[in-house]
Amino acid sequence: MFKNEEMEINLGPQHPSTHGVLRVKLRLDGETVTKCTPVIGYLHRGVEKICENKTFFQGQVWTDRMDYVASISNNLGWAEGVEKLFGIETPRRARYIRTMLTEQNRLASHLLWLATHALDIGAMTVFLYAFREREYLLDLFEAFCGARLTTTAFRIGGLREDLPPGFIKNAQAFQDRFLACIDEYEELLTENRIWKKRTVGVAKLNAEDCIALGVTGPVLRAAGVPYDIRKAFPSAAYAEMDFEIPTRTEADTYARYLVRLAEMRQSHRIIQQCIDGLPEGPVMAKIPKILKSEVNEVYHPIEAPKGELGYYFVAEKGGTMPYRMHVRAPSFVNLQALPKMTEGRLLADVIAAIGTLDVVLGEIDR
Amino acid sequence: MAEPIEPQAPAAPEAPAGPYVYDHAAAPFRQVVMPKTVPLPSFRTYTAEVAAAAAADEAKWQKQLADFEVAKTKAETEGKDAPKPPVRAVPRKDDNDMKTPWPVAATDADLLKLQELLGDSVEECFEQAGERVCQVKKEAILEALRVCREEPSLKYEMLADQSATHYPAAKDFAFSIVYHLTSVSRSKRLRLRILVPEGFIPESACDLYPSANWMEREIYDMLGIRFANHPDMTRILCPEDWEGYPLRKEYPTVGWGQRDIDFRDDRGGVLNRLAMEKAGQLGINLKQPKAD
Repeated sequence: MFKNEEMEINLGPQHPSTHGVLRVKLRLDGETVTKCTPVIGYLHRGVEKICENKTFFQGQVWTDRMDYVASISNNLGWAEGVEKLFGIETPRRARYIRTMLTEQNRLASHLLWLATHALDIGAMTVFLYAFREREYLLDLFEAFCGARLTTTAFRIGGLREDLPPGFIKNAQAFQDRFLACIDEYEELLTENRIWKKRTVGVAKLNAEDCIALGVTGPVLRAAGVPYDIRKAFPSAAYAEMDFEIPTRTEADTYARYLVRLAEMRQSHRIIQQCIDGLPEGPVMAKIPKILKSEVNEVYHPIEAPKGELGYYFVAEKGGTMPYRMHVRAPSFVNLQALPKMTEGRLLADVIAAIGTLDVVLGEIDR
Repeated sequence: MAEPIEPQAPAAPEAPAGPYVYDHAAAPFRQVVMPKTVPLPSFRTYTAEVAAAAAADEAKWQKQLADFEVAKTKAETEGKDAPKPPVRAVPRKDDNDMKTPWPVAATDADLLKLQELLGDSVEECFEQAGERVCQVKKEAILEALRVCREEPSLKYEMLADQSATHYPAAKDFAFSIVYHLTSVSRSKRLRLRILVPEGFIPESACDLYPSANWMEREIYDMLGIRFANHPDMTRILCPEDWEGYPLRKEYPTVGWGQRDIDFRDDRGGVLNRLAMEKAGQLGINLKQPKAD
């Protein structure tokens, strides 16, 4: 009557908890996962090939469409990578505004992660609370560049426009109430017994495995490694900012939740420093209308909300377009750790593991 | 009593507006401009180019001086006014905030250490735009990665990124493969580079750096470079039966077989109707696909 055989099932590609079109082939022994194989590529659009046929100015538009919940971070990586390729010095005010917007985008991305991750695990209320604050941030982005998600916020050499009137006032209004909002989320979740049962000790990944698999971002920091590109290789105005790298040592889903919430507090701190110390001056460097490159190759990493986002450019002599462009997408590399995190664990923990990695499929498939 | 309706002759089918079958040779999107140069950053070629440019500039100046002497003696013998002496051209200064990062010789301790440890396997070491580059022989990449990972004074624990570039215009190689290594404990980065010809199978880095697994699959998928001793050398982003390697330079931006009929020309829906009729003649029901 009772059969003892393994069953193979598909999770996705159309599954609400996979946050996009991720397919995971699972081999199950009862409720235990014995083999887990992520299958990706359903959203492949060939961004790297397209960018080889677009000028350095046009290519930035495509970076919005990769990690669409943190497009300003993608824009920052592109703009700074190209500036490094040409040796362009950006004005200080532009770097401050870039830092502020990138941190606000990190908040928006972490809020979306918190909302959907809690929803996957079964906490509905946090979703509504987090989206309320995210909406305010998206309104700020809309005031700055006219778009909520596909921002194309920066230009090579600085910014297209200075901040619109009233932006600082609205940003400060958000700053004043946001810390209380984080406390609200913590009240709902941190000591919640059901939340802790679903997250403590689930989907563990220790520091050696993280480094071997190239996993970066909050997942690495929750394993006790204080590696943050904002500190290790500072760009924009991060070198002038005073902030800490929150770390935990438990390396489980609950620790990653705590690390991300602590990161939100640090981002709040950085935004406040940007608002207070915003320097006067121009926002655009003097650069020619047409950029013609010399033979060069650069790899420029930045700390995106998901981890290390790197742009690799190869440029030819006199070229207006990159000869080769490659994106080191944090979600792509982080997703490699999914089998390690889930094999031998329960099926329900796979959902928690996908949520805690914070993957965005637009970035994985590019 | 109603009059019987006269049967009418069917109207002649409209001629389709414009060409609708894509001509592969003339299709503007399919035409690929192959690169003529090899943009491989290198300190050696850069210094050679600079020396050649300086020599050419000097030769031009010497010729100007010689021409001036000839013109001067000619004017003296003819009793005319002496010509103006030549002025050496000064390179134009650009008024902008750009400082092009040129390659410079390796001075970083890590690069010198690598040169010392790897010896003849190192082909070139230089720095450009604040980044350290070490190019090694293609057979020695695994040894170089092992040294970078295990040597206590280097300790590059993480393979952050791996990627490749196609150089169809190069003579003795076709691809460059780059490995971006990060030292988490020392906050340093290093780029290792190998040049491989078409058909060469480099060693996989999976044993040393497990993160190379998907990156090498992506390189195989996009550029068609296979890696030896890789646990699962299959396509990752494209379907398994995909033809061609999209990031090679000869691959067009418009996919093969996708736009044989350009429906963007089909404003009136004529082509769409013709396609449906053609399908009807062939017995294919386009509206209702058959159940499996």
